[in-house]
Amino acid sequence: MQKLVVIGAGMASGRVLEHLKETAPDAFDITLFNAEPRGNYNRIMLSPVLSGEKTYAEIVTHDDDWYGQHGITCRFGEKVLSVDRDRKVVIGEKGEVPYDKLIFGTGSSPFIIPLPGHDKQGVVAYRDLEDTNAMVEASGKPGARAVVIGGGLLGLEAAAGLRLRGMEVTVLHIATHLMERQLDEAAGYLLKKDLEKRGIKVILQAQTQEITGGDQAEAVHLADGTVLPCNIVVMAVGIRPAVQLAKDCGLTVNRAIEVDAQMQTSDPDVYAVGECVEYMGNLFGLVAPLYDQAKVLAKTLLGDADAFRMKELSTKLKVTGCDLFSAGDFAEGEGREDIVFRDPGRGIYKRLVIQDDQLIGAVMYGDTADGNWFFGLIKDGTDVSEMRDNLIFGPAFQGRAQADPMAAVAALPPEAEICGCNGVCKGDIVAAIEAGAGDLGAIRATTKASASCGTCTGLVEQVLSVTLGDDFVLPTSQPVCGCTDLTHEDVRRLIKAQELKSQPAVWQELGWKTPNGCHVCRPAVNYYLLADWPLEYQDDLQSRFVNERNHANIQKDGTFSVMPRMWGGITTPDELRAIADAADKYKVPTVKVTGGQRIDLLGVKKQDLTAIWYDLNQAGMVSGHAYSKGLRTVKTCVGTDHCRFGTQDSTGLGIKLEKKLWGSWTPHKVKLAVSGCPRNCAEATCKDVGIICVDSGYQVGVGGAAGMDVKETERLVDVPTEEEAIEWTTAFIQLYRENGKYLDRPYKWVAKVGLPWVKEVLSDPAERTALNERFEISQSVYRKDPWAEHAEKRAEYYQPLADLTQEAAE
Amino acid sequence: MDTAIDTPARTFIEVAEVWVPDGDKLVLGDGNYGTLDAFAEASRRESFAWGEGLPGKAWAEGRPVVLKAFDGSYFKRTEAAKEAGLTAAVAVPVFSGKVLKAVLVVFCADDDHRTGAIEVWKYSSGVMMLEDGYYGAARHFEWVSQHTHFPHGQGLPGGVWASQTPILMRDLGSGYRFIRADSAGKAGLTTGIGMPIPVPDGASYVLALLSARGTPIARRFELWDARSARVGKGEPSAILTDGICAREGALWVGETEEPRRVAAWQGLIGRVLGTGLPVVESGTPGLTAGYETLIALPIHLDGEIAHIVAWYC
Amino acid sequence: MNWIDIGHIEDIPVRGARVVKTPAGCVAVFRTTPDQVYAVSDRCPHKGGPLSDGIVHDRKITCPLHNMVFDLETGLSQGIEEEQIATYPIRVEDGRLLLDGESVGKRSAA
Repeated sequence: MQKLVVIGAGMASGRVLEHLKETAPDAFDITLFNAEPRGNYNRIMLSPVLSGEKTYAEIVTHDDDWYGQHGITCRFGEKVLSVDRDRKVVIGEKGEVPYDKLIFGTGSSPFIIPLPGHDKQGVVAYRDLEDTNAMVEASGKPGARAVVIGGGLLGLEAAAGLRLRGMEVTVLHIATHLMERQLDEAAGYLLKKDLEKRGIKVILQAQTQEITGGDQAEAVHLADGTVLPCNIVVMAVGIRPAVQLAKDCGLTVNRAIEVDAQMQTSDPDVYAVGECVEYMGNLFGLVAPLYDQAKVLAKTLLGDADAFRMKELSTKLKVTGCDLFSAGDFAEGEGREDIVFRDPGRGIYKRLVIQDDQLIGAVMYGDTADGNWFFGLIKDGTDVSEMRDNLIFGPAFQGRAQADPMAAVAALPPEAEICGCNGVCKGDIVAAIEAGAGDLGAIRATTKASASCGTCTGLVEQVLSVTLGDDFVLPTSQPVCGCTDLTHEDVRRLIKAQELKSQPAVWQELGWKTPNGCHVCRPAVNYYLLADWPLEYQDDLQSRFVNERNHANIQKDGTFSVMPRMWGGITTPDELRAIADAADKYKVPTVKVTGGQRIDLLGVKKQDLTAIWYDLNQAGMVSGHAYSKGLRTVKTCVGTDHCRFGTQDSTGLGIKLEKKLWGSWTPHKVKLAVSGCPRNCAEATCKDVGIICVDSGYQVGVGGAAGMDVKETERLVDVPTEEEAIEWTTAFIQLYRENGKYLDRPYKWVAKVGLPWVKEVLSDPAERTALNERFEISQSVYRKDPWAEHAEKRAEYYQPLADLTQEAAE
Repeated sequence: MDTAIDTPARTFIEVAEVWVPDGDKLVLGDGNYGTLDAFAEASRRESFAWGEGLPGKAWAEGRPVVLKAFDGSYFKRTEAAKEAGLTAAVAVPVFSGKVLKAVLVVFCADDDHRTGAIEVWKYSSGVMMLEDGYYGAARHFEWVSQHTHFPHGQGLPGGVWASQTPILMRDLGSGYRFIRADSAGKAGLTTGIGMPIPVPDGASYVLALLSARGTPIARRFELWDARSARVGKGEPSAILTDGICAREGALWVGETEEPRRVAAWQGLIGRVLGTGLPVVESGTPGLTAGYETLIALPIHLDGEIAHIVAWYC
Repeated sequence: MNWIDIGHIEDIPVRGARVVKTPAGCVAVFRTTPDQVYAVSDRCPHKGGPLSDGIVHDRKITCPLHNMVFDLETGLSQGIEEEQIATYPIRVEDGRLLLDGESVGKRSAA
């Protein structure tokens, strides 16, 4: 009988033994080494053991009886020190074992990030039963906290298990969405939402800096200064094949032990199987290919021909109630076509990727029923051109199901607030409809919903339609763009009602038909999110039009104009000198004085932008935001300082307003003016907000226009003090920021909601204060000079990536 | 075969019955009364209007109801129950949306000598709180449970609430070191099964059955997933996702194997799928070998049978 | 083909673009997803807008000047009047961006 020695009692080598014992029980005299003091168990089921949904006994694959029955000599709890291939012996801690054939099944070890503090007690990997038990132990203390580093499969399974055990759990993940190797951002968003519903905190783009504490880990520190106290740190960032032993005995090892399709290593009597294997440059972590390898290796050992082939893989997550499936390649790419299906109410997202009439990838969340069918199509390379239209509905598809344009509203919970003005929830409206209110007028009369500013009219109509079905004919309205059937007003209201705080959240929960929006909806959604959630949402530069992204105005020849801020139109000789110097240095062809009381440098090349900004910054000047949907200028006259007619310090008020409001984003551009007397030299009566100083105080007018439309401002309020003028102005702008439709100037917005409504809201002192407070919260993020930031942090983006012209000239 | 487990143990649940709507009344469907013939007879004669008796109360109030003392209560079969030695009952309504499909009622007896727990948890102000429960002799555990609450995702009630899916937990006493687990271990509670109970007003209830070794609620538990989002949109069917059995051991399969699947009308689980109603069966040939009785409870979500929880004695 | 290393994929923000100066004119390199890039002419045939400053959505680019939309794969514009921009072979290898030098008028180094 030939002597077979197996190093490592894992799932792959265990499967090899099963095959051998089934086919040729007496072919080999087998010795099995395992460093863990136990035999083969179903390692991928450790997560339910951690959560308490399984016991260790249930996941044991081979118990002592099995090894005994099959006459396998077990050397468990004994490390293999070395392999002497010349003498063909394996040297264990308790002595040598000779072999004719040898199998490496050494598996992999968890990768531990070498952070400061990674060697403290309480920092565990998640790989084997010992790790699992350590985590169960840590969960024993009431109120214990865990930090899981790594938002991949293992990390999330660990987090869910620890949470079920009663711990406070935070997951730190370095990428922008969870499981980024298996999921796209929409599916990653749904997964995050699902985990958060379980009370698990998820921090994305987390830069872990160090683990602190005494001997025991006590806290994890992030680069942004966040400190997360904890009793245990679980590192689940990846695995590395365990190959030291193989390397030491001289086998060919690259990233792992190199094998051929028969699982043979560089030594014809030595084989390897499982996670320690590298085949044609590939490593293996999922169980399906390991079992394939095991089958091939058993056949090879018994002299039967077989060859290992790479197959497409699919992924599932073992967290009870999280249904996700991903298979194949679902990155966007050349010649690829997406089919997207979303059902916001049921939290379903499905995306198929098709290339050359074949399905090459699928990612699904919430509805995974057809996962295996899609997986089969991917593996078989089936031509799907015939079934393309209905493919996403799966094999049991009957008749074409249309994505329901009202799904987002149907999905709203009863407590979702539809009418922000009067605090009316969906449930109130449904109750009113059930009590007999059958049209918009009746709803307004009974609930007050949409009876004030009217912005939520579209949503109220949709609730009517969802509740009454065909009895209510929905008026047609203009959707934002082809990606959705919802209007701007609907999207704004739903972002607030459903507390949507990221673009993937909007796309999913509101049933977007495209994977990531278009040039029409993205800037609008980006604005709505940053206006409603200034602290939580991060402005997305790639969702901004060129001028706002580059903080300069693009000109018809592709060059840019640069315009520094001149507070209230006041400048100094030093600033003028700096502007003149910059114009010389960067060969600015045109220098113009603008209608907004400042100086425009026209014709600056893109690659010079950061340098010219830097120079202007050095002279104390900041961006004039002459390009933004935000505050542009506050035009002033000289007021009481110099003018013999002036009634108040109009210049001073203008400067104060500009210093308060600058940097804020608004639905469209906002221009202000302050005139020192009714002669109105600053032309305040055609601005978005225009203030006229009079002897008794300040007349605040709003909703003027002097563009395609010309319109005089309407009086909002007369106030006696400068403070009140600033408070009212700020409150008005914040109300516009919170309610306006993207690309509606204030005059258009006021026309829609009605000046009486605006006055009614703003005349409540508490409401004014609240608006001012919310504005300041937003300004804590946005009142800063983008030029300085870009010159410092993003300068490279303004330069060409490479210049291939100079070399060519050689 | 392990003969010890085949000795009929005294079980925690003595009687199980299913009441189904018939016009404006609830009438008896399935029932397993064991040897309690007189109580069975009394029940067969009975029917309940909306709000009447225990089943009618579960229907009217749209929530699971625990009744621990029959005397002086709304309970209608007090005399017959007393004669049969029954002391407590739990009524679980099965709703599909706003429509009542059935009410499952289970009875327990012999409070001082049998241990187990049938608990009703309700979500309020951010946590799962014990609404009511019947614990038999597990008095300390009852007290601990009354003073415990579970945030989102924590423990069996919090986990079921967060995932909206039934969960089967093993070794209740050993793994869970926090206080309720400690007490569960001392009470001999080993296996716990929790399931969401959807009700018309949208409130979140979780029913938990905690089984002790000496007087088990069941010796075999099965969780079936019937959601079309998991099993497909064709004919109704269900897959066995988890389970444990005193005779067969673990009832789940690994990632690379196909789980057991039944279609509507195929066997007793198939009958639940077909009718949408709970099934209580005893001594039927179709029952899994080695077991006398089966209780199977469907959970309707989003207009379909989403899950079936089954337990066998 | 003559693959020239022009930089790292992380040098381009996702749904953003960078310009490469070449003998054939400015080439815009777009990164539509974390691991997909396209190289096309930076010049919009309509009024010469710099496409690299436009908005990337799906696998399309909208010109910053007058909102013409081009498919980055085919270079074809959407809409009634069909225009086409040049597309250039580009690939990613170990995170490095490799642009085909021949296609942008750069003679082979060999």
